[in-house]
Amino acid sequence: MMIERHDTDILIIGSGGAGLFAALHAQQSAAPGTKITIAVKGLLGKCGCTRMVQGGYNVALGGGDTVERHFMDTIQGGKWLPDQDMAWKLCTLAVERIHELENEVGCFFDRNPDGSLHQKAFAGQTADRTVHKGDLTGIEIINRLMEQVLTQPVEKLQEHRAIGLIPTRDGAALSGVLFIDMRTGGFRFVCAKAVLMATGGGPTMYKYHTPSGDKTMDGLAMALRVGLPLRDMEMVQFHPTGLLAGDHTRITGTVLEEGLRGAGGHLLNHAGDRFMFDFDAKGERATRDIVSRGIYAQMRASNDPQQVGVFISMSHLGPDNVREKFKGMVKRCADSGFDLAAGKVEVVPTAHYFMGGVVVDPDTRTALEGFYVAGEDAGGAHGSNRLGGNGVANSTVFGGVAGDVMARHVAAMNTQREPDEAVLEAEIARALHPFSKPAGAVIELRQTLQNAMWDDIGVMRTKAGLKRGLRAVEDVRAALMETGVQDGSRAFNLTWHDWLNLSSLCDISKAIAEAALARENSRGAHFREDFPEDGGLENSDFTVIRRAGDRLDVTREPVRFTIVRPGETILPEGEPESLVG
Amino acid sequence: MQSFRSLLYRFSTMTTLPSSAPDSTVTKKPTRDVLLVSIWRGEADEGDFEAHSVPAHDNQTVLDVVSWVQQHADPTLSYRFACRVGMCGSCAMMVNGEPRWTCRTHVSKVADDGALTVAPLRNLPVIKDLVVDMDPFFDKWVAAQAVHHPSHSRADPMQPVSTQTPERISANEAIECINCAVCYAACDTVANQPDYLGPAALNRAWALINDEKDAARQEILDAVSGTGGCHNCHSQGGCAHYCPNELNPMASVAGLKRATAMRFFKGR
Repeated sequence: MMIERHDTDILIIGSGGAGLFAALHAQQSAAPGTKITIAVKGLLGKCGCTRMVQGGYNVALGGGDTVERHFMDTIQGGKWLPDQDMAWKLCTLAVERIHELENEVGCFFDRNPDGSLHQKAFAGQTADRTVHKGDLTGIEIINRLMEQVLTQPVEKLQEHRAIGLIPTRDGAALSGVLFIDMRTGGFRFVCAKAVLMATGGGPTMYKYHTPSGDKTMDGLAMALRVGLPLRDMEMVQFHPTGLLAGDHTRITGTVLEEGLRGAGGHLLNHAGDRFMFDFDAKGERATRDIVSRGIYAQMRASNDPQQVGVFISMSHLGPDNVREKFKGMVKRCADSGFDLAAGKVEVVPTAHYFMGGVVVDPDTRTALEGFYVAGEDAGGAHGSNRLGGNGVANSTVFGGVAGDVMARHVAAMNTQREPDEAVLEAEIARALHPFSKPAGAVIELRQTLQNAMWDDIGVMRTKAGLKRGLRAVEDVRAALMETGVQDGSRAFNLTWHDWLNLSSLCDISKAIAEAALARENSRGAHFREDFPEDGGLENSDFTVIRRAGDRLDVTREPVRFTIVRPGETILPEGEPESLVG
Repeated sequence: MQSFRSLLYRFSTMTTLPSSAPDSTVTKKPTRDVLLVSIWRGEADEGDFEAHSVPAHDNQTVLDVVSWVQQHADPTLSYRFACRVGMCGSCAMMVNGEPRWTCRTHVSKVADDGALTVAPLRNLPVIKDLVVDMDPFFDKWVAAQAVHHPSHSRADPMQPVSTQTPERISANEAIECINCAVCYAACDTVANQPDYLGPAALNRAWALINDEKDAARQEILDAVSGTGGCHNCHSQGGCAHYCPNELNPMASVAGLKRATAMRFFKGR
C-alpha cells in the first residue's frame, strides 16, 4: 500500500478550542524553526464543537467570586468524581486564559454598562461567573482563534481524518498518526516528536445527539486500540431539550438552549400539563441531569409513537418578548418549521457531552511517551457531570497547557521516533476492510446502534437493559464487518467515512456499556434504576477501561481527595453558600 | 440589486440546461410526496447534473435532501457539513441558483414546484461535487489584515469597553459573521475581479477598525485600500441580501471607503 510520509515536530489533531490554543501556545513557546502541524477532520475552526458553545466561559474574576468557589462548584457538580488537581488547574488557569482571549486573541465579550465584562450564572453555579458573547460565545472564540492561527506559520492538513495512533516497535512511545487525506482518499502517515489529540468527544451514537455531524469518537476509539486507559466512560451528559423534528432530518437532536428554561419556559406533557415539579422543587429550572430524567420518564410512561417527546412552551412569557430575548433560537426553530415564540416545540433529551476520556495528568501527558490529550478527549476534570460553561474553559485551558508542554518536550529531542510498521499496516487494512465486502446500507446500521444506545444505555439504565444494549452493539459491530462500501473513487467518499465513523462509534459504545455495567450506583449523568443511591461520597471511585485483546477490562480506582474531602469546603468560614440572588 | 439578481438568475439558468434535465425515468410531474432534485456531480468545469427523486417530508432542509441522496441513492456523492444548525458555515451551496446555508434552508422555502437544483458555492474552486475549497476565501481574510492585532497582553487587566460609543455599536453590528462565504458567493465583484478581497473579509476589517482594542488600525486601512480592496465594491448589495445572519457587509465596506478616503484627504 502506497502511503505518503510526512515529518513534523509538533502534531495537533483537532481545531476546536484545545487544538487552536495548543497551536498558538506551541508557536509562542517553541524554539524558532520548530515545525507545527494541525490536522483536522473538516475545515480549520469550522468542524468540532467549541464553535457550538452557546452559553459561555466559566471563570472567577472577582466581584466576590473566587477560584476556590469555582473549584468547589466544579467538584460538587461532578459529584466528587473529578480529578481534583485537574479541576484546580482548570479553575486557576481559566483566569489567565480569559485575559488571553480578550487581550491577545481579540474576543469581543459582552460588557456591563460600566464597561466591565458581563458575567451570568448557570445552573449549578454559586456566582455570576460565565463570560459570554450573547448566546453564541463559541463562534466568537473560535473565529478569533482561527484568525490568529491562520496568520501563523502553522502547517494545515484540512479534511485529514486520523485513523490510527502508531506507536514505536517497543510500544512505549508514540511515533505518529495515520490519516486519510479525505480529499484524495489516500493515506498519509505524519511522524511527529509530540502529538496532541484534541478531536473532541461527541456522543453521536445516540438517536438524539447535539454534537457536530463530524464527531464520531474517533479519538477515543484510537486511544482504546493503542492500549491507553480511558476513565469515566459511563458518563454521558444529556441536554434536556433537543429539538425533535423527525428521523429524516439532521436538525433533530440539536439544542434548544438552557436559557429558555431559565427564563421561565414550561415543559408540558401529552396532556398539556407541567410535570417537572413531580421530580424537583426547582421544576424546569433543575439541573440538566434531573430535567433529562424527568422528560425521559414522561416519554416512557406515555409511550406514544405519535408524540414521542414533550413540549417546551414559551408563549406565556409574551411572544414578542420571547422573539426579542431569544432571537437566534426563535429563528432557528422557524427555519425548521416551528414557532417557538407563540407555539409549542417538541423536545427530547439529547446526548451532549462526554465527561469520560483518556487518563491524563494535569499537564495533559498520557501513559504513552510523546502523546498528549486535551479537551473533551481527556477525562477527569468534570467527573460525573460537567457544569455549563466549564467545557470551553476546559478545552482552552488544557489546549494551551499542551502547547507549552509539547514545546518543551520537542526541544529535548533530536529526531522523530520510528513507527511500528506492523501497526501501520494493520491500521491501513482496518480502514480498507469495507472495500473487501459487498456494499450495504451503513446508515441503517447506524440507526440500529443509535436506537439501542438510546433505549438501553441512555438516560436511565438497568443491568438487564445494559446487557441487552451491549448485545445489540456487538451485533451491529458484527454486521458492520460484513457490510461493505462500493470501491471506486475514494476521494471525498463520505460513505467510506460513514463506515469508519460507525466503527469508532461501535468501539466506544461498547466501552460506555461495560463501564455503565461496572458502576452499580448513580452519580451525575449515570443513573442506574436498579442502584439509585450514590454509593457514598467518601467511597467515590471511578471506572477505568482498557483493551485486553478482543475484550475490554474494567477496573475501579478510588478518587484521590487531594484538595478537599466530601463534607468539607475550601471556602473561608462564613462564606455564603451562594452569591447568586 | 437588479443586476445582481439577474446574474444569479443566469447562473441558475446556465446550470439547468437540457443536459441537466431529469432523465425520462423521473420526469413525472412533481407530487407532494417527491422532490425532483438536480445535483452537480464532478469537478470545477467537468461534470454534469444528476437527477434524483427524493421523498418529501414536513421538516426537511436542503442538507437533508442532499444527505438522503448520499445515504440512499448514490453513495459516491460528496458534500460538506458539520454543525447542522447554522453555526459553522461549512454547508453553504447554490440552491436554485442562490447561495444558502443548506442546513437551515427549509425545502418549502426554496423548492420550485417540487424541484431543487443544488450546485457548489459560486466563486470558489470545486474540489468534488458540492465541495468547494474555502482556502482562497480565508487567504483573503488574512490579506485584509482582518485579524485582531493585540494592544494588551494576558498580563494586563481587562480593559473597560463602553457599549455606548458609535464605534463599539458599529463593531457589534458586524461581529456575528460565521465565515460561511454566502456573501462571497453572492458577490458579482468577486466573480468579475478574482483578487477582490470580498465582503466577508472587509466586514471583519471594518469590525476591527471600530474595535478600540486593535493596535494596527492604520495597517488594516492600508490592506483594504489596495488593488483588490474596498473601492472595488459597486454596492450591489448581494452580500447584505443573502447574509443568513442578516449582517450588512455592504455597509461595512462603505464604512471602509469613508475611512480610507478621509485618511487620504487628511494625508494620514
